[in-house]
Amino acid sequence: MRLIVSFAQGFVSILKGMAITFLNLVGRRKITLQYPYQRPNVSPRWRGIFYLPYNDEAGRINCVGCTLCAQACPTGVITMTKMGAGKHASVNAFTMDLGRCMFCNLCIEACPFDAIHMSTRFELASVDRGVSLLTIDKLAQGGADAVERTKRTIEAALEQEAAAKAAAAAAKAQAAAGAQAAEGADA
Amino acid sequence: MTAMQPAVGASTSSDMTINLGPQHPSTHGVLRLMVALDGEYVKSCRPVVGYLHRGLERMMAARPYRQSVPFTDRLDYCASLNSNLAISQAIERIGGMAVPERAQYLRVMLCEMNRIASHLIFFGTYAADIGATTAFLYAFRERERLLDLLEAYTGARLTCNWIRPGGVASDMPEGYAQAVCAFLDGFLKELDAYDTLLTGNPIFRVRTEGVGIISPEKAIAYGASGPVLRGSGVNIDLRRTEPYDAYPRTQFDVPLRTEGDCLARYLVRVEEMRQSARIIRQCLREMPEGEHWGKQPKVFRPAAGEAYSRTESPRGELSIYLVSDGTANPVRVRVRGPSFVHLSMLPELVRGVKVADMIAILGSLDTVLGEVDR
Amino acid sequence: MSLPPLRRPAPTRTGFECDPAFVAGQFAAGVAVLVAAIAVASALPRLPWGLVDPLLVLIGSHPVINALIKALTVTVFVTVHVIFLIWLERKFAGWMQARLGPMHVGWKGALQTIADAVKLLMKEDIIPTRADRILFIAAPFLTFMPTLLTFMVLPFSEKWVAYDFPLGILFVLAVTTNISLGTLAAGWGANNKYSLLGGARACAQVLSYEIPMAVAMLSVVTLEGTMSLTEIVKHQQHGWNIIAHAPVMIPAFLIFMVCGLAELNRTPFDLPEAESELVSGFHTEYSGMRFAFFYLGEFAANFFTAGLAVTLFFGGWLGPWLPAPIWFGIKTIAVVTLFMWIKWTVPRLRVDQMMGFCWKFLVPASVVVFCATAVWVMVAGS
Ligand code: SF4
Ligand code: SF4
Repeated sequence: MRLIVSFAQGFVSILKGMAITFLNLVGRRKITLQYPYQRPNVSPRWRGIFYLPYNDEAGRINCVGCTLCAQACPTGVITMTKMGAGKHASVNAFTMDLGRCMFCNLCIEACPFDAIHMSTRFELASVDRGVSLLTIDKLAQGGADAVERTKRTIEAALEQEAAAKAAAAAAKAQAAAGAQAAEGADA
Repeated sequence: MTAMQPAVGASTSSDMTINLGPQHPSTHGVLRLMVALDGEYVKSCRPVVGYLHRGLERMMAARPYRQSVPFTDRLDYCASLNSNLAISQAIERIGGMAVPERAQYLRVMLCEMNRIASHLIFFGTYAADIGATTAFLYAFRERERLLDLLEAYTGARLTCNWIRPGGVASDMPEGYAQAVCAFLDGFLKELDAYDTLLTGNPIFRVRTEGVGIISPEKAIAYGASGPVLRGSGVNIDLRRTEPYDAYPRTQFDVPLRTEGDCLARYLVRVEEMRQSARIIRQCLREMPEGEHWGKQPKVFRPAAGEAYSRTESPRGELSIYLVSDGTANPVRVRVRGPSFVHLSMLPELVRGVKVADMIAILGSLDTVLGEVDR
Repeated sequence: MSLPPLRRPAPTRTGFECDPAFVAGQFAAGVAVLVAAIAVASALPRLPWGLVDPLLVLIGSHPVINALIKALTVTVFVTVHVIFLIWLERKFAGWMQARLGPMHVGWKGALQTIADAVKLLMKEDIIPTRADRILFIAAPFLTFMPTLLTFMVLPFSEKWVAYDFPLGILFVLAVTTNISLGTLAAGWGANNKYSLLGGARACAQVLSYEIPMAVAMLSVVTLEGTMSLTEIVKHQQHGWNIIAHAPVMIPAFLIFMVCGLAELNRTPFDLPEAESELVSGFHTEYSGMRFAFFYLGEFAANFFTAGLAVTLFFGGWLGPWLPAPIWFGIKTIAVVTLFMWIKWTVPRLRVDQMMGFCWKFLVPASVVVFCATAVWVMVAGS
C-alpha cells in the first residue's frame, strides 16, 4: 500500500513538473537574443572599451599626463609619454594593452581630471593580438584628428606662454635696464 | 601507465582507472578526478587540482593593498562581490578604516544578490548533473536578470569589483531599488515553480536522498562551512555568529537541515535564496542616506601587523589573512577558500558509491575551481 | 546616473530582409516556383500514363523489384522524417527552455538539420588507433539496421505497409532486441572506458526493459487475439483500445511508455549516454557520419516506438476526414512529442535504481496487467 501511495505521489509530482515545463513552453517569452542581428542594451555604467574624452571648448583631450591612472592600475596596462608642461600639458602617446586589462575601473576612479572613461562597447574579441593594443589614436574620442588638434592646442598654448614669458622677461629686462639706466643716471 | 594509477587502494585487474576531467561535462571547471572503478562502483578517487592556478595570493601581495581587490573577483567567479567583501574587510581591519552606514547596507545588498546568483548556478548545474537540462536553463534565465541588475549597478556582470576598502565604489543608480524589488517579486514566484519542478520530482529525490551523507562530526573535522556544514545540522553561519557590516541589523533565518545528504545541502541553498531575498528587501527599506565611501587616505601604508577577516560567501567561510610590514604592499596574503576544503572531503565521500552518485556528491559540494586553485 | 532599461529589448529581426534587391529576388523566385508548379500540375494528367502501366504491373508482381522498391521507400522515409524529427526536438526543447532553438538556416531553422548532416559528412572520419576496427565500423549499422527493419511492418494505413506480417509483434520484439548488440559493439569496440560503461549500461537496460514491454504488448495481443499490426488496428474500428478497454489498457500503455523511454535511452533512462557522467556514453568516440548513424537510428526508433504505441493503443491510422497515413502521422508525432516532453522535464535515474524499477516494479506490474487483461477478455467476451 505504501508503495502504491508513494508511486502515485511521485507520478503526480512528475505530472506537476510537466505542467511547469508546458507552461514555459507555451506561456513564456523566449529570452534568446539573436546576437549578431540583435545586440543587447548594456547599462550606461558598462565597463567596456576605453576612450579619452575630447573637450571641444578647450580643443584638447582632458588628459594631462599625470600618470595617476597608470599608477593605480594593478596590471600595468597604461603607458604614456607626456608633452608640454605645467598648465599646458597633455600626452602624445597613451597606450593601453587590453590583453592585460581586467576592466576593474580603478584607473578611471584614479583620474582627477575625468580624462579617461569606459564606453559601452563590449565586443572586444579579435583574432589579432595587435588589435588589443590601443594607441592614443584609437583611444581619443575623435581619433587621430583629436590628437592632432590637442597637439596644436598645446603647442599654441605653449608658444603663447613662451611668448608671454618672453614678453614678460623683455618687459622685466626693459624695466631692469630702465632702472639701471636710472641708476646710472643717478650715479 | 603506472604513473597514472591512483596511489590509493589496491588495484586488481578488474579495476578501471578513469580520468574525469580536466575536460568533462560535470567537473565544474578544470578539475581532474582520477577515479578507480570496479564496474559501476568507485573504489577510490583522487582530485587533482591546480589547472587554474594563477598565483593570485602572490600577485596580491606584490601590489598595493587597494589594487588587490580586482584579483579577488577571480577567486570565486560565481560570487565576485562576496570575495571583494572579504579582502575589503581585511584591508579595513589592517588600516583601521571605517565604513559608512549606507555603504554597509549597500554591501550586504550586493553580496546577497550575488549569493542568489551563485546559488542559481548551483541549482542549474546540479540539475544538469542529475540529468534535468531544462531546470538548468530556467535557473540561468533568472540569473540573467539578476546579472542585468548587477550590471546596471556595477557595470560588470561577473567580475564586479565594486565593494572596495572603505565602502562601495558608487551609489545605486536611480530607480534601482524598485528594479530590484520587481525582480525579487518575480523571482520568488519562479523559485517556487522550480522547487516543484525539481525538488518535488521523485527521480531527483531518489538520486539525492541518503547520498553522500556527511555527519556533523565529519563536517567539523574537515572544516566544512556554509551550506555543506548547515546541511549536516551544524548551525554556524558567520553572518549570524560573527556578524559584519549590516548583518546584525537584518533579520533572516539560517536554514538548517540535519540529514547531511545531497538533498539537504540542496535544500539549504534553495532556502538561502529565499532568505537572501528577505535580506535584500530589508536593506532597501532600512538603508540610511549618506556617503557610500568613507574618507580614503591618499597613500595607504598600514602599520606593521596582521588582520584576518571572515566572511560567509555562498560556498562557505571565505577568509583572508593579511600581514603588513608598514610598507605599501602586504607581506603576505592568504586566502582560505571553502571550496578547497569541501573538495578535500570528496575522496572519503565517494568511496564505494556509484559513478552517478559521485557526480551528484561533487555537484552538491558546489566547488568553484577558481577558488580551489587560486 | 539614470537607470538603464533593465529588460532586454523585444526581439526584432534586423537582418538582410530590408535589402530591396534581395526582396525582389525572393519575390521573383517565388513567382517562378509558382508558375512551374502550375505548369507541372496542368501537364501531369496529360502525360501518357497508360504507357507506364505495364511497368507498374511488373513492379507489383516481381518479388525482387517489389521488395527493392519498398525497402528503398522505407529507407528514404526514415532518413527524411528523422530530419524533421530532429528539428522538432530541437525546437521543442528550445521553446520549453525559454530559448528559440535553431533559427538561422531556413525558415525558423528548418534546414538546420540538413546543414548539420552536411557538416557531419564532411568531418574527418576518426577511428581510434587501438579500437577494434571491425566492431567499431559495424556498430553504427548494427544499431541502425534493426530500426530500419521494424519500419517494414509498421502500418501507416491498411495499404501503406511494406510487409503485412501476420506475426508483426513477434517480429518487432525479435528485431529491436538486436539494437543492444550494436550499442554493445560500439561500447566495446571503441576501446574507451566511458564507451564501455555506456555500452554495458545500454545492454543491461534494453534487455531488462524488453520484458515488461513485451508483456505489455502481449496484453494487447490477448485482447485482440492477433499478432498482426494491421489486424490490431482494424479491430479498433469501434473504439481505440485505450478508450474501449481503458481499465486494462491505460496501465498497459503506461508500462509501454516507460519501457519505450528506456528502450530509446531517453531521460529518465538515458544512462547509457549520461552526459554528466559518461561524457557521451557508447558513442563518445564516434564522429562524422558514423555518429550521424547513431543519431539517425535513435530518432527513427523514436518514431517507431511512438508509431507502435499508436498502433496498439490509439487506433493506428483510424480517424475521420483525413487520409489514413496523415492520421497515423499526426498521432505518432503527438506521442513523439510526449516522449520529448518527458525527456526535457525529468532528471536521470541511477543505474541500480533503473534496474530495480524494472525488475521490482515494472515486471510484476506488467504481469498483473497481463492477467487482468485475460480476465477482462473473459468477462467482456461473455
Ligand atoms: S581597468 Fe583596471 S586593469 Fe584595466 S587599465 Fe584600468 S586599472 Fe588597469
Ligand atoms: S588619464 Fe587621468 S590619471 Fe591618467 S594620465 Fe591622464 S589625467 Fe592623469
